[in-house]
Amino acid sequence: MTLWPRHPLLFLLAFAAIVTVPQFIPQLFNWRIFEWSTVAHVLDFQPRQPSIAPLEEEQARMRPDLTPARQNAHRIVDPQLVLAPFYAALLRVERREPGAVVRILHYGDSPSTADLITADVRALLQHHFGDAGHGVYLIAKPWAWYDHRGVYSKSSGWVIDPATRHAQPDGWYGLGGVSFTGKPGAWSKIALRDPGQTRLVLHYVGQPGSGKVRITAGDVHIATLDTSMPQKTAAHETWRIPAEAQEFEIEIEDAPVRLFCVEFLKDSDGVIYSSLGLNGTWAGVLAWYMNGPHWSDQLKEARPDLVVLNYGTNESGFPKYVDSTYVKDVREIVRRIRTALPATPILVMSPMDRGVRESGGTIGTISALPRLVQKQAQVATETGCAFFNTFEAMGGSGTMGRWYQAEPRMVSADFIHPLPSGARIVGALLYQALYDGYNNWKMQQLRQTRITAAGTPPAGAQPKEGRAR
Amino acid sequence: MVLSSSVYFVFLVGIFLLYWPLSRWRAGGLAVLLFANYFFYAKWDLFYLILIPGASFVDYLIGLGLGVGNQRRPTPPLATAHSALSAWFQQIAARAWFRRLLITCSLVLNLGILASFKYMPFFLSAWSGATAHKAPEWHWTFPLGISFYCFQALTYTIDLYRKDGQPVRSLLAHMTAVSFFPTTLAGPITRVLVLAPQLEKPGKTLTIEESGRALFRIALGLLKKFMIADYLAENLVNRVFDTPGLYTGMETFIGVWAFAFQLYYDFSGYTDIAIGSAMLLGIRLPENFNRPYTALNISDFWRRWHITLSNWLRDYLYFSLPGLRSKWKIFTYINLTLTMVLGGLWHGPNWTFVAWGALHGVALAVHHGFRTARGNPKPSANFWIRLLSRVLTANYVAFCWIFFRATSFENAGAILGRLASLTVSFANVSPALVTVLGVAALGHFWPRAWYDFSMRQFIRVPFYAQAAAVALLVLAIEYVAMTGAAPFIYTKF
Repeated sequence: MTLWPRHPLLFLLAFAAIVTVPQFIPQLFNWRIFEWSTVAHVLDFQPRQPSIAPLEEEQARMRPDLTPARQNAHRIVDPQLVLAPFYAALLRVERREPGAVVRILHYGDSPSTADLITADVRALLQHHFGDAGHGVYLIAKPWAWYDHRGVYSKSSGWVIDPATRHAQPDGWYGLGGVSFTGKPGAWSKIALRDPGQTRLVLHYVGQPGSGKVRITAGDVHIATLDTSMPQKTAAHETWRIPAEAQEFEIEIEDAPVRLFCVEFLKDSDGVIYSSLGLNGTWAGVLAWYMNGPHWSDQLKEARPDLVVLNYGTNESGFPKYVDSTYVKDVREIVRRIRTALPATPILVMSPMDRGVRESGGTIGTISALPRLVQKQAQVATETGCAFFNTFEAMGGSGTMGRWYQAEPRMVSADFIHPLPSGARIVGALLYQALYDGYNNWKMQQLRQTRITAAGTPPAGAQPKEGRAR
Repeated sequence: MVLSSSVYFVFLVGIFLLYWPLSRWRAGGLAVLLFANYFFYAKWDLFYLILIPGASFVDYLIGLGLGVGNQRRPTPPLATAHSALSAWFQQIAARAWFRRLLITCSLVLNLGILASFKYMPFFLSAWSGATAHKAPEWHWTFPLGISFYCFQALTYTIDLYRKDGQPVRSLLAHMTAVSFFPTTLAGPITRVLVLAPQLEKPGKTLTIEESGRALFRIALGLLKKFMIADYLAENLVNRVFDTPGLYTGMETFIGVWAFAFQLYYDFSGYTDIAIGSAMLLGIRLPENFNRPYTALNISDFWRRWHITLSNWLRDYLYFSLPGLRSKWKIFTYINLTLTMVLGGLWHGPNWTFVAWGALHGVALAVHHGFRTARGNPKPSANFWIRLLSRVLTANYVAFCWIFFRATSFENAGAILGRLASLTVSFANVSPALVTVLGVAALGHFWPRAWYDFSMRQFIRVPFYAQAAAVALLVLAIEYVAMTGAAPFIYTKF
């Protein structure tokens, strides 16, 4: 009687020989299917890591009550301190100066469309500086993916044209990049979890023959807006809304009306962080598809203290575009914003890592992404914008792979979209970078004040006029 | 140590080499297997080295106690060694209340383990929701394999309580059977009274056909897991369920069906590896699947899907519920639903599993009622009616999978919302994905005879050709399919 059953033993020996051969033949080395080091892992009784991501660090980032300056924040590249006016606005809010409100417009792609990342930055900023309202919300969901944290909506009867489709001949897409045309009977119901909003702003197109829009808050009729105007104009109207109102309805009454978005604002001081995501967008949409003068007017009306440009994920899938016209497009976007808002700082925020399966099965970074981030940094420096390297902040190349393999997963299986837990980390990274920059700016102002000892207010800290709306 | 990982196969080879020379002696073979079982558990967490032996030992004692009551005549060791005490114990052990006490202890022990180490956070969260109190933190969660261990352990004591067998006298055999490593993580749930005699059998042999069959099952399991299940998961299923809003109704529909196939290939792949591994050690495990999506009705589905679990639920839960023999037929329907709800909860501490179980329970109850009302007719022989029955059953099962896969009701609602949107686009369904889905469907409906023919061909070729074939498969897995050894879905349960 043999010690082992003959057939499986011979099979094992033959299999071992087959898998060993490539280890010794250089030409076959890349075809090896077994690492002999695995044998040692059998005796590895190391406690299993529930997550590959550095959890404690991430949890610390989730703690706005901790002093972020003490933590290792990935800083915003801003050697010329272009964000000073923004920091000054934050300081006014922090000092609780009457009517002090900081408005931030965050232009982004699909993660912003679902209010991922932006919802977390909003929550963290509002937790620290105060909540001045939810900000912009589109009339209806242009994509099923469109979703703002704490806002629920249903709608019917709208013809929806996102700027990405470039279907509107006039290129008018409002501040949020989407045009909604509703015939009589079209309606939208928007409900907010937070009952504290006090004003509602409706952005629309006034033009000859345009119809009426009926606005209600719960059962209370707020207004019926006649949008007909002698000539075509992008306009907005603000109404006070009843206390504690959470449900709003917008309904077209008699003739077609074209709308853009609504804004929900509060009377309190604080931060308004508007998430302006467009699904599948790329730099060319803001640079060329949006009508320049119209978008400029919209930006002027919005009077933001900071504009965040968070594009690049979709572009990274087109290496030729990245290498040829991408820089030109980003420059054009910056030029357009500058024309409208010469004093408002712009923060170019790089995309997150974007994963791709490489040969051998590992999840790496899509090849054009690091180049694209480099180009963004270069354009930001050349055009006087601040730059936040999200890609590096979250861990650089291969982060999507690590986050995908973390348990629980932090990104979707497409290696593009963060899951809420991943988005929270990226949101916290941006918040921390902003907060870190703000603290450094404050320190700098204090040092300057001490040196000059003259009591002149710090640069950029002059209060703007007519902020309240 | 996932069953599809290279570390597992190194471990399996090591156990194989150690087991066969020592299996000539009963105790030698059992000792190697027990070592392998505990080594396997320790790879997950060293805490299992306290939990599993402790619980197994208590169940062993309970089994002996129940066994005494099962004996018509006193067993020699007890009768001779301590005759007076033994006679008294025999009398007590034969009493119904004592037997009930013993089985209650076993139930409390095993269900207590489940509750403490798997479901406590769920209970605390539910309690917190109901009372508006903050739930205390609970760090003692060791969910891996616990459900399977407890169910397997309970087969032993419940069988003895019902006098369906005699206790396993050997502590070594009992502890080995109850924690047999191929079945640890995801079954097949094997009755201890079926497994233990196989483990104890001395002089085991492994024929060429058996070893060929074992290797074929392992290779097939790897193929199912890596080339189909993981591919579908990564390229459509996870994406659709992570971010439903990005997909059209048609893509979501395909995603739901892709999940149905992913789950089947993942779990049946695991089962193939488990059965193949056990077979290499001369142990036979029960089958768990029989082309489930060809079921004619929901009852038929549960005779084809996770067969060992449905048998367990039927034998140990459904038949134990009160009211089964009552004249009130309503109890049959209530018990069917309740059994499936509990079966759903067994899969994990989440309300979505409860909903999944309830959907199946209600469907089973409706089907049972429908059949009873029509006098239990045989299934129609008409091809078109049978086809329609299969399509309806499979789609209902796929619909239920939405709740099984969804992370929350909100997530399930989002998936259903996308399905209801009736939007059509195939932009996210690549030709490669369609090919894999086609292969998955074909493989599922592959006739049994053709499957047996393929296996026979594999068994017939010489060992070196088999080794080359398996090496080629591993190469394909390494370079063609998605690697990264995602854990088997059912190991979470």
